[in-house]
Amino acid sequence: MIAQAIGGNLDYAVMLGYFVAVLGFGLYFGRYTTTTKDFFFGGQRFSWWLIAFSCVATVVGSYSFIKYSAAGFRYGICSTQSYLNDWFWMPILVLIWLPIIYYNRITSVPEYLEKRFDKKTRVAATLIILFYIIGYIGINLITLGRTLETLLGWEVMTGAVITAVAVALYVYIGGQTAVIMTDLVQGFILLIAGLGLFGAAIYHFGGFGNFWSLLPQDHKFAFSDFNGPPKFSFIGIYVQDGLANTGALMLMHQGFILRFLSLKSVKDSRRMVVCWVLVLAPLAAIATSCGGWIAKALVNNGELVTEPGDSFVKAAHFLCAPGVFGFVLAALTAALMSTADSLINAVSAIFVNDIWKPYVRPASSDKHYLRVARIMSLVAAGLGLALVPIFMKDTIYGAHSMFTAAVTPPVLMAILLGITWKRYSPAAAFATIVGGAILIFLSFIWPDALVGPFDFGMGPDSYKFMRALFGLLAAGTLGVSVTWLTKAKPESELKGLIAGSQMDAMRRFKGGEPNRRPGGKARLKVKIERDLAEENTVIVPQSALETMAAEPGDLLYASHIRWWYGGLRSVHVKAGPPCDCADCELMRIRPEDAATAHFSDGQQVVVEKIM
Amino acid sequence: MNMLRVWPIVCEFGIGALLCIVGIWCGLRGGYLDLKVAEDRRLLVTFIAGYVFMLALVCVFTFLAPFWATGESS
Repeated sequence: MIAQAIGGNLDYAVMLGYFVAVLGFGLYFGRYTTTTKDFFFGGQRFSWWLIAFSCVATVVGSYSFIKYSAAGFRYGICSTQSYLNDWFWMPILVLIWLPIIYYNRITSVPEYLEKRFDKKTRVAATLIILFYIIGYIGINLITLGRTLETLLGWEVMTGAVITAVAVALYVYIGGQTAVIMTDLVQGFILLIAGLGLFGAAIYHFGGFGNFWSLLPQDHKFAFSDFNGPPKFSFIGIYVQDGLANTGALMLMHQGFILRFLSLKSVKDSRRMVVCWVLVLAPLAAIATSCGGWIAKALVNNGELVTEPGDSFVKAAHFLCAPGVFGFVLAALTAALMSTADSLINAVSAIFVNDIWKPYVRPASSDKHYLRVARIMSLVAAGLGLALVPIFMKDTIYGAHSMFTAAVTPPVLMAILLGITWKRYSPAAAFATIVGGAILIFLSFIWPDALVGPFDFGMGPDSYKFMRALFGLLAAGTLGVSVTWLTKAKPESELKGLIAGSQMDAMRRFKGGEPNRRPGGKARLKVKIERDLAEENTVIVPQSALETMAAEPGDLLYASHIRWWYGGLRSVHVKAGPPCDCADCELMRIRPEDAATAHFSDGQQVVVEKIM
Repeated sequence: MNMLRVWPIVCEFGIGALLCIVGIWCGLRGGYLDLKVAEDRRLLVTFIAGYVFMLALVCVFTFLAPFWATGESS
């Protein structure tokens, strides 16, 4: 890494201004957080586009710009491979996993594992997932620490501490709502900065053709060679990132679970996923990697001298005017904050839902749990900071790859088998998680004997990637073998928890038969009434029910007429019996529900049927 | 043809197809993905279109784009 600080005062002013603005933005949304449901799930009310942007912001960590630009500089456009693996997991996510967790009102992966298997499996998974998420926080903090060291000459730990304090503060106050809203802004910023940098480079070189011709030919392939080079082979990246890491992001990453559960409906998850994976993720792949490609072209053109690790910052500094460079640095900060905030919130959720609530203080008030969740946010940031010195011993790419390849396979395999195979037994799930983790631990002691057979002839340099393949196969084999020797749970206890029984979960969620008839949206006026009989129920005219193809008892979603609120002002309610006045266009609602949605008397709202 | 460039595509899209098939089959079983519903049919088409789009993108950047500037062919 370069030693001296680069960038001017204007750049640092822009970066600082952005930092303060995001902090203030996050703190502002603290007023929407009054319960643990708000703190962890943002009230389960957000629109698909808002969650899609925030998911991209969460996926793109600050390490992404540095790590993928360094890979782009060394190996070319195949550095985007990590972002192009997600689509293949979408059917499993959208058609199996999301309906199961959403409709069963599951708040964490360990909670699912207890319902599907037993308590000891939950405990084992809790420990591994906490370790996984806290480690992720550490990796993000060290990246920004290293970047600030490059830019300002600060100690790595100083930059990490300042960022951790800022992020922990707005998560402490605003919870998931603050996380989602700041991530929306940060998602925009990091895409604009990354793609803007790419556009500036194309302009600088006089067109895409000139830029393309400056790259070496082996930098222009979508994938590396199948089994080479050992530190960036296709198969190594695929098993570590395409299978273990992407699978973990979709199925076991508590930050994403909370984000998915913040959606207003499972139906919205479909649009969210298409927007995120097919549109925003490829753009993010270009945004994060292009620094390396540009730096390589500049080096080949004799305009720049840089090392791979500095390629993003150096290319941005070369191309951007003072102030604009600060904006790019702000994007780097945005990437860090938007990932770390989700992770901090996730640690807090697991601690409260899987440790504090069941074992320490069961049956306490929601206010108590909210206080614990907030305190835990601060503790999570502190724990992430404690890991920074450990990760400082490796490169960022190496640390990240080694960590995900080693930690994720056992729990990922247990979830995957658990949701798709009803014969998979509780004893087998426990063996998958604990036995898999032990085998992976042993692979660090005897790497040649355990990981060596899976290295495709690449040798020890590939082990940190290929350990993921060993872990997946070892955990999977253990799970399948133990299943055949032990007794499965009765099928009646698995209703709604495995593939094929998603409709049972829907029925349980609604408390009746789901209404899946396609319907439209109705525009109504709010009328707040204190004497409505049932809690969480609204009375709407028959004409509105017909427009929505809804019946009394169906679940409805009422939101502010301005779509760009993204569901921030909205509420889930049940349709009561239709009112007598056929065309009065009123939605009668109790004051408590109106307060949840921030609705006022006489306000126009859009109402639609959820199921 | 350099098979070291082809095997990655076979591996990524072969295992990818398996994952997609598992997801779709599990959706169809039990009726959660109901092909009588237009919205569910659109979802299925989107999954397939996304898969084909990714495959086309990768093929372009394996068999065509690397040779654009040099005028060579794969």
